[in-house]
Amino acid sequence: MTTVEAAKFHLAWFKSFTPHDWRSTWSGSEERDWMTGDSHVDFLRALERARFDFLMLEDSLMVSDTYGGTAEASLAQGGYAPKGDPALLASMLLSETKRIGVIATMSSTFVPPWLLARTSATIDHLSGGRFGWNCVTSSENRAAQNFGMDALPPHDERYERAAEYVEVVKQLWDSWEPDAFVMDQESGTYVDHTKVNPIHFEGRWHRSRGPLNLMRPPQGHPVICQAGGSPAGKAFAAGNADVLLSLPKGLPDMKRYRDDIRELAEKAGRDPDDIKVLFIISPILADTDDEARELQAMMNSDVEAKIKAQMVNWSATMEIDFSRFDLDRPLPDDAVTNGHQSTLATFRKFANGRTLREAFTAYRTEAIEVVGSPATAADTLQEAMEFVGGDGFLVMGPTNRRYVHEITDGLVPELQRRGLVRTEYAGTHLRDHLREF
Amino acid sequence: MSAKMFHLGWFLGNGFGVQAWNSEWAGTGATDWMMPDQYIDLARSIERGGFDFLMMEDSVQIPNAYQGSSEYYLRTASAAPKQDPAVLAGILSQFTEKLGIVATLTTTFYHPFTVARLMSTLDHVSKGRIGWNIVTGSSTYAAKNFGFDMPEHDLRYEMADEFVELACKLWDSWEPDAVLADVEKGVYADHTKVHTLDFEGKFYSSRGPLNTTPSPQGRPVFLQAGGSDQGKDLAAKYVEAIIANPPGVEKMKAYREDIRRRAVEHGRDPDTIKVMYLVSPVFGETDDEAEEKLARRERAKNSNIEGLLAGRSHLASIDLSQFPLDEPLPDDLISNGHRSSFANFKGDGTQTLRERILAHSATDAVHLCGTPATVAAQMDEIMQEVGGDGFLIVGTPMHRRYVAEVTDGLSPALRRRGLIRSNFSHQLLRDNLLAF
Amino acid sequence: MMHLGWFLSFQVQSWNQMWSGNGGTEWNKPQLYVDVARSLERAGFDYMMFEDGSFVPDSYGSNHDWWLAAARSVPKQDPLPLIPMLAEHTSNIGFFATVTTSFHPPFMAARTAATIDHLTDGRFGLNLVTSHNVRTAQNFGHDTLFDHDERYRMADEWIDLCRKLWDTWDADAVVLDEERGVFADGSKVRPIDFAGEFYSSRGPLNTTRSPQGRPALCQAGGSKAGRAFGAKNVDTIIAQVNGVEDMKAYREEVTDHMIAAGRDPKECKVLFIITPVLGETDGEAQDRAERGRKAMAGAVEQNLASLSYATGQDFAKYDLDAPFPDIETNATQSSLALFKKLAAGKTLREFVTSDTRKSVDLVGTPDTVAGQMDEIMQEAGGDGFLISGSLHRRYVAEIADGLGAALRRRGLTRDGYSGSTLRENLLEF
Repeated sequence: MTTVEAAKFHLAWFKSFTPHDWRSTWSGSEERDWMTGDSHVDFLRALERARFDFLMLEDSLMVSDTYGGTAEASLAQGGYAPKGDPALLASMLLSETKRIGVIATMSSTFVPPWLLARTSATIDHLSGGRFGWNCVTSSENRAAQNFGMDALPPHDERYERAAEYVEVVKQLWDSWEPDAFVMDQESGTYVDHTKVNPIHFEGRWHRSRGPLNLMRPPQGHPVICQAGGSPAGKAFAAGNADVLLSLPKGLPDMKRYRDDIRELAEKAGRDPDDIKVLFIISPILADTDDEARELQAMMNSDVEAKIKAQMVNWSATMEIDFSRFDLDRPLPDDAVTNGHQSTLATFRKFANGRTLREAFTAYRTEAIEVVGSPATAADTLQEAMEFVGGDGFLVMGPTNRRYVHEITDGLVPELQRRGLVRTEYAGTHLRDHLREF
Repeated sequence: MSAKMFHLGWFLGNGFGVQAWNSEWAGTGATDWMMPDQYIDLARSIERGGFDFLMMEDSVQIPNAYQGSSEYYLRTASAAPKQDPAVLAGILSQFTEKLGIVATLTTTFYHPFTVARLMSTLDHVSKGRIGWNIVTGSSTYAAKNFGFDMPEHDLRYEMADEFVELACKLWDSWEPDAVLADVEKGVYADHTKVHTLDFEGKFYSSRGPLNTTPSPQGRPVFLQAGGSDQGKDLAAKYVEAIIANPPGVEKMKAYREDIRRRAVEHGRDPDTIKVMYLVSPVFGETDDEAEEKLARRERAKNSNIEGLLAGRSHLASIDLSQFPLDEPLPDDLISNGHRSSFANFKGDGTQTLRERILAHSATDAVHLCGTPATVAAQMDEIMQEVGGDGFLIVGTPMHRRYVAEVTDGLSPALRRRGLIRSNFSHQLLRDNLLAF
Repeated sequence: MMHLGWFLSFQVQSWNQMWSGNGGTEWNKPQLYVDVARSLERAGFDYMMFEDGSFVPDSYGSNHDWWLAAARSVPKQDPLPLIPMLAEHTSNIGFFATVTTSFHPPFMAARTAATIDHLTDGRFGLNLVTSHNVRTAQNFGHDTLFDHDERYRMADEWIDLCRKLWDTWDADAVVLDEERGVFADGSKVRPIDFAGEFYSSRGPLNTTRSPQGRPALCQAGGSKAGRAFGAKNVDTIIAQVNGVEDMKAYREEVTDHMIAAGRDPKECKVLFIITPVLGETDGEAQDRAERGRKAMAGAVEQNLASLSYATGQDFAKYDLDAPFPDIETNATQSSLALFKKLAAGKTLREFVTSDTRKSVDLVGTPDTVAGQMDEIMQEAGGDGFLISGSLHRRYVAEIADGLGAALRRRGLTRDGYSGSTLRENLLEF
């Protein structure tokens, strides 16, 4: 009997620094303690034990009052706000782990590039090269208003600005050459000054003199993550990102998306293997497939609550007041957003003329449905990767300890036995993990 | 030229006991000594400083030798109170990554099965970084705590020999491939590869097998501090590092040659037994400052005859307060405790007790005093003459300032000379000890 | 009773010196600072205060060569991400980290500070600076610094806005009503629609109210505008003041300013920066201090560079044997004023080779120095001291385990923490 070794894929987890699981049966003391970060430490250690590549911390910078014209529903739900600053949580989590990476979201629209370059380089040093930046342009006017602007720049302009922003940040990281650090005890020379240079960056939107006032980060550039689905977002990601969180649903779209990105990356002069496309999943696991199906049905039974939660969240991210719409009619054609455009487009395509109620009832955030015993779930993931070609999955699910351990101690060992995911880290940096296979 | 690269160990001479508590840099030593914090800081510091291991002394009695009373010892917190180092070893293993951790366990007071299981457990949780400092015990009072009289010196060593033999058999009672952990077949361990011993010795018996799985090192690294003939023989037969404090370079050299000869007699490669010398370097920012500090310490120590006598009484289990200070000790006085070190202390009978107690340093093999660079040079020179294998720093007075002087002053100075490791090449303590 | 703090930057602490250890390579990782924080907590320190700056100095010699070779003030890392790591390994000591009001977006700073306050269980504070180096301005895309006094007006508005943002969540906004599915009550979270001269922000903050409500605030400005700002806004002021008389005057001035601003003077603790020299005997410590003075006097280049750093002027271009130059600065005005005062009647060489710039002489055994500190506090009426010295583990041990223990024995420092937040500890006595 011959066995063909399966291609390995990557695992990561997507979450926010919010109390979003505060109401579930297994939430423990999360509702009160989420801001201390302690449960996140346990969580990240579990992911590290399961040899995940990274944890990605999403972020946003406002309290939404779009839904019904008030913050009431958004705050009652506690899903989108409150939300802590993920870069600080990332640094705490990295100090309690040794190998796993953490990617934190920071907005290119609101953070001065110097600050971002410096903070991310600092965390990369503190963690020995395990930090990543999820580059977002931000999508809400409410956030812009917190920073003294009236409104966000238009969608595509934000990407142009972001491209320039990434350029200045990269130049700041590069302002110290890799061999600038000499630490020559004899001559008393810590750094060779000829290898540290100002950048004198003068862009259309950004300026910075430089050089950065700290050494080149261990990874050179901290890992850059991106989630763009629009044409502008995709082109930007293909040129800059190490890892991409993707939204397409269903195997054909997933494959098309990944092929597309790889092609764009090649056009941008990059090795397409240097950019990993990860797909969102929210596995529902149980001892048996039947039990998992029952669990799924139970989770979906409160249709009204589910629809409302989805609408409140989307009102926040897209700044479209979904409370105005008649649930028994399709999404009006004039509902447009300057925010998450590709998410809205994906939803419209998915609804395909169905009423909002029908569409929301059927809608899933995840790319593919993963329901069953660990063995069945592993089958699903294996088949998906065989069809799509790579590069892995981003788990998005409640981060209560019970669910986390279902994934890390139930699903992952099954995947490991099949040789589908790593059993040990090979490298020390986050980028090493991403490029390991 | 420089000596070959050598090993460093730290000897926590007062075990998990009260360290510096009423001196200048003692910090919260008086109230916090029983907490692990100070030892965690120590372990992390010496790991950073390129030490192979931390060794923790132990004793299990409140001394009572001097004036037949515990008064002196408890008043000054000398050698008592003291907690169990095995517990500390487990904690320290979780706060370090490569450092070896050596706990002292007394053969006379344990059953071999207990030691085998404890050491195996510690070796697992430390990922193979545990050592066992094999001692036979020396104190009558300690033995009485266990309900018997201290066996005579030579008999203790005979018992220790059998103890180690049985412990080794227990560690070997699981074949290396006995654990399958086969999730598919549902087989954890292959029972045909786990053997009973039915050991029946002169002193100990045990059925076996051990009820833990084989640990990363198989068995802990063995260390010992034997100075007597029996001690040296036991060491040459079993141990991987021996601790010694012969006074002066000549005797250090002779000692090492003796041990290596005995090792060959037991059929061992002499390079597999490291001889490490106890030293307590004294540091200053200038050589003068260090010499003055040493002189101050000597004066303080020598003006405290009572302290010296109490300490020596404790080591020897003999009440030295009963002998006149200005006469030599009786010819026939021998210690059933630390036999060789007491004989060495007593001398040839030409000097008085006062002279002996003032002249004798219980720990220092050689004079190491000065700036970190000066002490590094002195250590270099000594190792060149002696031929190997390293030093065991006795941290006295044991407080964080002294630890910093060693790990952040001496270690970089030694490293600049290429004399100590700059990182650990292996995971297991045994491999690191044998790396050079 | 006196409060104690430690003043440092997240930079190369000590390398290439006798007790540096691995200082040249470990300064940019957390463990060294974890060790320091734990030691200082053992000694009852109120806080560690991380200074910061966002530029590579190039004032001295008009290039950055000297600074990079000597590892002085560069490289320097962002202290904010370090704080949650330190908090993980400590339970009582507080931490101040520096942000620049001139360039840090206020919403971002308010949110970051609230997040760290949560992560540290209420042990965080912001040290506010206005940035005094034109290179900082240029790194943030400006051509020049804002004018000195304008920087302070901006700072006033900046902190006013942050305060309002911190107050956007009522203390009882989070209700956690599981039955009704209400996490927070929307009516207790409000926008502020702040529109000032320099900043505007809608709000509310998107984090819950932090344990201290508002993170603690610290300030180090010695200029007139700086002191007025501090007296109005902060919980602790750190001051580099020369001699007991000036300390006394300084504290009195802060008190006056506070009363004028309607605050209880006890609400702000003034800590004076000191660098004690300790030894096992007084003689040993004095020898050590003397060696330090000699080394300092010989380090002409280093001293000129320090002057350049503080003033933004290139001191390499002045004649060493002419009187101290008569210059103006838009940087740290108070430092320059102090230098000019101390340099009166001296040549530049005489000034940089003399040892006139330290606060007070504290030299001796831990017990001797503890006694001196006691006397100074009695006279000056201050609230405590901020240690600033070469940060290597031996010196930290001397301070924490030597001086700390001596002060505690005299009943001059806390023996344990009664409060659970940084502000509570500052207000304890």
